[in-house]
This record gives sequence, C-alpha cells and structure tokens, in this order.
Amino acid sequence: MQVLAEGKADFLAVDPDGYRAWVRDHKQRALTPKLMSASEAVSRFVADGDYFVFDCNYFQRGPSTLIREVIRQQKKDLWLCGKFSYVDVGLLVGAGCASKIDCGFFWPGATIDRAVLDGRVKVYEYSNIVMTLRLQAGAMGLPFLPVRSFGGTDGFEHSGAKLVQDPFTSKPITLVPALNPDVSIIHAQQADQYGNTRVFGTGIAHEESAMASKKVIISAEEIIETDDIRRDPGRTSIPYYAVDAVVHAPNGAWPGNCGGYYGSDTPGVIETFGAIASDNVAAYVAKYVTPFASDAEMFEKLVGQERLDKLHAAETISEGYRA
Amino acid sequence: MSIDLGLKAAIGTAASSFNEREMQICVVARMVEDAKTYWVAGGGGPMYAVLLAIKLYAPAAQYITEDGVIAPEPMLPFEPVMTMVSSRAGYRALAWGTMNTAGNHAQLGLMDYGLLNTLQVDQHGNINSTAIGTYGERSRRFGGPGGADSIAALCWRTILMTDQEKRKFVERVDFISSPGFLDGSEGARERAGLPPDTGPFKVVTPWAMYDYTPGRKLRLVARSPWVTVDQILAQCEFPPVIADNVALLEGPTEEELHILRTELDPRGQNTAERSAWVVYDGESYTRTEA
Repeated sequence: MQVLAEGKADFLAVDPDGYRAWVRDHKQRALTPKLMSASEAVSRFVADGDYFVFDCNYFQRGPSTLIREVIRQQKKDLWLCGKFSYVDVGLLVGAGCASKIDCGFFWPGATIDRAVLDGRVKVYEYSNIVMTLRLQAGAMGLPFLPVRSFGGTDGFEHSGAKLVQDPFTSKPITLVPALNPDVSIIHAQQADQYGNTRVFGTGIAHEESAMASKKVIISAEEIIETDDIRRDPGRTSIPYYAVDAVVHAPNGAWPGNCGGYYGSDTPGVIETFGAIASDNVAAYVAKYVTPFASDAEMFEKLVGQERLDKLHAAETISEGYRA
Repeated sequence: MSIDLGLKAAIGTAASSFNEREMQICVVARMVEDAKTYWVAGGGGPMYAVLLAIKLYAPAAQYITEDGVIAPEPMLPFEPVMTMVSSRAGYRALAWGTMNTAGNHAQLGLMDYGLLNTLQVDQHGNINSTAIGTYGERSRRFGGPGGADSIAALCWRTILMTDQEKRKFVERVDFISSPGFLDGSEGARERAGLPPDTGPFKVVTPWAMYDYTPGRKLRLVARSPWVTVDQILAQCEFPPVIADNVALLEGPTEEELHILRTELDPRGQNTAERSAWVVYDGESYTRTEA
C-alpha cells in the first residue's frame, strides 16, 4: 500500500497482538465482585505515565469524582485522550497530572497556554471523531481504521495519521492508528458489582473506551442487582469482563449533569471554567480536592445535601434514563 | 446575473429593535431547507438558527448533534451552560447514539448540511479553531476542531457562522483545523481522501452572506441593510470576491424575535451578548455599538 503522506507526530504505539495478550492475561472471565472506593480504584488502576481516557467530560455525565481522585493522588505524566473534553484537560494539566494531550477538543485557557509555552505539555492534533474512531479500532482489535475525514488538515501533519492509496478503490484514504489506552474511567447511571454497566442517554465513546482499554474503572450513580441486569440485557452498555473496578459514586458527575438523575450545577460549572481561564487550578484543587479524603466528604462538608437535592429536583426528565 | 441566495422570505413584520447576533441567527434560519438533515454544532447560534427554522420556516428539517442525538424535540430552554449529552437537549429524540454514530452517519452521506460557528475562515473556506499565530511558536491556543472537522469533511454542504471581523477573514488560516477547499485547486479535497461533492457552502456574519465562486473562492453576495460593502470590506483582512449585485438581506421580524427571545434563549445568553443594537423606524436602520 503506497503511503502518500503522513503525520509527523508521536502517537501511542499500536500493538493489537500485545493488547490481545493483555486481555488474555488480565481481564477476568469469572464474575468477580469489583466494588471498591474511588481511592482504591485509582490507586490500583491508574499509574503514572498511563495513557488516560475519560468518557464524556467533567460537565456532561463524566467521571468527575474519579478525575478529582486522580488529582488527589497526584498522578503524574498522564497522556490525555482529549476527545469531547471540556475543563477536564485544563484541570489535569493545572494539577500537574498530565504531560501529553491528544486533542480533539478541550476548553482552552491560561492554564493550558502556559503549560504549552513552558514545554510542560505536548499537544498532538486530531478531532473528536478521529479520536473516537481510533478507540473504535482499538476496541475491534485492529491496528488502524480508514476514515473519510481529517485528510488535508494541518492537524493531520501533527498526528499519527497516514494518507494511503486504498488498494480496493485506488483512491486516497486516511488511516488513523488504533488506540488502546492504559486506563479508561467512565461514569454511568447504573452498574452491578461485577461491572455490568448501563449508560443511559447519548454518549461519546463509553463502549469503545471500555473495550479498548487495558484497565477500566466504572463509577455509577447506583449499584443494582445482577438480576436486574439479566431482566433487561439489551440495556447493558459494557459487559463485566471489560471492567476492573466498580465505584459507587452518587453525584459522581458533579458539577456536571447526569441524565435522569440531576441537572448541572451552574455556579459549580462557572467556577471550574474560571479556574482554567485564570490559570488558578491550584486554588480550585485546594478548595474541592485536597481538604477531603473523598468526594463523599466533600459533598457533605462543602456542597451540602440541600444544594444536591435541588439539582436532583431540577432534573425532571426521566424518559429513557431508567430501566 | 443575480445569485440565488437560497433564502426564504422573512415571515412577519419587520422588527423595530434587535441586535446583530439575532440578525445573523434569523438569516441562517431562513436558509434552512425543509426535509433535510443538519449536523449542528451543539450550542449557540447554529443551534438557535436550526431550532428557529424548524418552528417557522422548515418544520420537516431534522438535526443531529455530535453526541448522537437524532431528531430530538428538545425541552427548551437548554440548561444555562450545557447542551450536548443533557437530557433537555436530547429530549424526545428518535434515536440516541454516540459520537461514532454521528460520524458514521455523516460518512455514509446522511447529513445534508453542517452548521458551525468558527473562529477564523479563509478565502477557500478552511476553518481554524486550533491556534492563532504561528503554530508551535508564538500562538494563542484554542480548543481544537472538536466535531467540526468531521462536519466540514463529511456533510454535503457546510454553512459557517462567524463575526465580521478583520482577523476572522484571512487569506490563509493560521491552522487548518477543519477542511474547506484546502488550497482551492480542483479536486484538492478528494486528493486528501475526503468524499467528493462536499465542502463549504455559505458563510453568514451579522453583516453579510458569502458563497463560493465556481473557482472555490469566498464571494460576498449579500449585506445587511445598515452596512455598506465598503464597511464589510474594511472588516476583511483578505478581500473576498464581490458579486456583481450584492443583495440586501431582510432584517429580523417580530415573529422571529418572539420565538428567539421567549422560547429559545429567554435568558438572552447568546442573543443579548455584546453585539451592536439596530433600530428600524420603518424607513431606515440605525446601528449603535454596545
């Protein structure tokens, strides 16, 4: 196959055989209870230097509790999958947890500007859907996927993509490298203790991320009985054997919304934007993360039940979000 | 020779007072074709334009968003900050998918139009949302293409909304985040692996509408009645081609504004922002900077 053009940037090494071997050796086939605290899950399954994917984002049914835990444990040198991200990239960069970003989209601001200018963070350019297709390739056990977008952009030059002559049509086609992250963290509405997970509503790439990643942490609003899973198997978005840890995390997407459960906390959202825009993540972390041993304690002592109750009451729509 | 702008006649009585952001949204709403599919950026002007169109001009138009919401009947207004992946935005959709659903459906050719906001556009319709300045050296970083690269690559026609400002209309964008006609040469998109017969269609600002010449160059085709062609050109770093007859756009109507202000954006988040106000006394328009 003739390579017509190729991006010049580093990308996570593509190794589908290595990933198969990892899956063979590490993914548990038995139904094993995996319930644990956020602290234990992040401590066991997020390592310094990991390629790190979070699905959705800090404001939109994202794993916000788990992101705060990653910051609390001061993980270092993460390579972030910045697809459909928002302030999460800025928070993790500002908290000193990340050194590389694959960019689909992130909320820009002084925090990232300074980190890039200082050389503390390197950005590689993709688009949201190129990133979710890279995860799709990883979730299919393939080395790459052909895509009909991304060619011709300047992002292509700063990526790991290649333009080749398609051996079937003889036309040019862009190939993007598969992505098998070290770890993915996903917040869902419901999961059982084994990791059978139900995501309700739309999403970004929770299934692809879970299947493509070596280690998978699910946080869920509710832990449900496996019998409930078996009564409606079509609702299972992610099956147990992909999952390594299950964390019961009520309000785990706060200050974002979680469809069918609670609306977004507008003051909390604006405060987070402000931290990124003003390069003041340290103050944000000092307020919301470091004083507390867990998010549960933060909710109890800082946010308060009354404020959370209001957010739950504001979410009047339930159609489609509960079995 | 006059150019078909593809605009429906404004419905209602000419409004007496409005801002320029509202004007831009109303113009785009009148461009929306009935019974076509729109892949819409998840918030702001593009979303309001398509919703206004469905309520007033094109009831059978459908839209999807990047998170895989297909043809919703959203509960309005949206939450103050969030739109995508929120229950209000996805309410009463016909189907819910994910980002790859949206991308694949567009890749199949199901999306007639893409509708986007952009930071910077050039003479060939290329879009920059990554960095202003020399990339990797002294540049100001922006958020990246998000879903816009796929929208601009895969929808049959792409409509851009942006402000009429000098630094937004340039000869060559500082960084091609999402593809227009690339270098403008014939077949450039196809040589880059993009599907044929796709690409830039129109650009709409609060002051003007642009299309593209057969040679794939940005062309000024219509203006708002309170600005002159010279005023528009003064706000283009690189001058566009100018149509022989630059048409006049109709101002907003009271009916359009009523929907916009009471149903779509009652908090005035997008429409009452820092854009100029325009007063119409039945004969002439007076523009006042905010």
